[in-house]
Amino acid sequence: MNHLTQEEIVMAYYGEPFAHLDGCEECRAELGRIAEVLDRVEAPDVPEPDAEYEARVWQRLSWRLRGEKKRARRTEWMRWGAVAAVVVIAFVAGLLWKRENRADAPQNIAHRETPSPNVPVSNTQQQRDRILLVVVNDHFDESERILVELSNLKPEEGLDIRPERDRAEALLASNRLYRRTAEGRGEESVATLLDDLEPVLLQIAHTPSQLSADELRAIQKRVEAKGLVLKLRVVRASVRAKSAVNYQQPNV
Amino acid sequence: MEATDFELVERVRGGDDDAFRLLVERHSRSIYRTAYRITSNAADADDVVQETFLRAYRSLSTYDARASFTTWAHRIAVNCSLDLIDSRKRRDAKIEATDDLSEIASNEASPERVVLGGQMQRAIAAALKQMSGNERTAFVLRHFEGMPLEEIGNILGIKTNATKNTIFRAVTKLRERLQPFTGSASS
Repeated sequence: MNHLTQEEIVMAYYGEPFAHLDGCEECRAELGRIAEVLDRVEAPDVPEPDAEYEARVWQRLSWRLRGEKKRARRTEWMRWGAVAAVVVIAFVAGLLWKRENRADAPQNIAHRETPSPNVPVSNTQQQRDRILLVVVNDHFDESERILVELSNLKPEEGLDIRPERDRAEALLASNRLYRRTAEGRGEESVATLLDDLEPVLLQIAHTPSQLSADELRAIQKRVEAKGLVLKLRVVRASVRAKSAVNYQQPNV
Repeated sequence: MEATDFELVERVRGGDDDAFRLLVERHSRSIYRTAYRITSNAADADDVVQETFLRAYRSLSTYDARASFTTWAHRIAVNCSLDLIDSRKRRDAKIEATDDLSEIASNEASPERVVLGGQMQRAIAAALKQMSGNERTAFVLRHFEGMPLEEIGNILGIKTNATKNTIFRAVTKLRERLQPFTGSASS
């Protein structure tokens, strides 16, 4: 005869039916021994909170909810700020583009189609490149700071990463725009890095504000696996160098 | 007529904070009791109540009206309690020596001299402390609250068989701890 397992006997104690018990004295005896222990385990007395308990809970909570709302409003402003910055950049880039197109008379196009390494790029082209490089450099700088902060955190339960989460959320919208612009301008290394950065920013932006140790470890692992901090430093150095060269080149 | 939980949730979603106050007043006491049974500490249970309602407020948009608000809120409370236990466990890596039953038993020359009631409670408390967060929660919800296995599994995010196994592990630890009092240990 196959007797019940210990686990089945525990479940029998909690009411799971086992026909085997009817005909097996040995299993019934074991059930009795388990019952002898579990019957004595009574729910610990819970100290009953006083009559004002609910009011106190609400008072403390409403104060925290006010903070929560303020933070939500600030995040909303940050998001709109990022959108406004993107619109301004797009507008300035559009103006420069228009001005360059006007300057691109047919006689100039012929000249531009046969560039010589000794001939500096046009002034407006430089200005556009500089704008892109400056904003992307700032974007990388801020992203690097967030990633370094999160990489240096010690994984433990209930970490509050709301500031980093809000900043990542604000960076996410501009990241997409910069990536598309960089792709269009043939800035391959910048576009690739922005492409690598996007899912990580997305992951951070969608984390709960109270992070578990496992969630933090997952983010740290992802940042480390992609070598993102190092890549950011390398590309930032190259972007800074390019930006300086563009700035120093003489105007035509 | 008193508004149902669902009606209150809808009002909170529409920006009515007073409706949220009503939900807090309606459920904070029972959430406190569950949290206390899992954390065994009044201050911790208070913190769990706060954190539970804060998380609930933030996630109301994801609340599915098919589940009762009570179950949903208790699920959050259990998760908050488990988070808290995990962080406490890391801090207090060792169970206090005074809670250790083997020490108590060896110090007492004769079991007859043991004041059984008080010692049993201490032994049970020590056994609960020794359990993992999942084990303690599964045991508390099944043994003290009489919650069905499926519901416990839902709260812990594990399947019913895994829930059974978790409860079994908890019971085994409990039997080992209480063995000097009952004379029966898990085999």
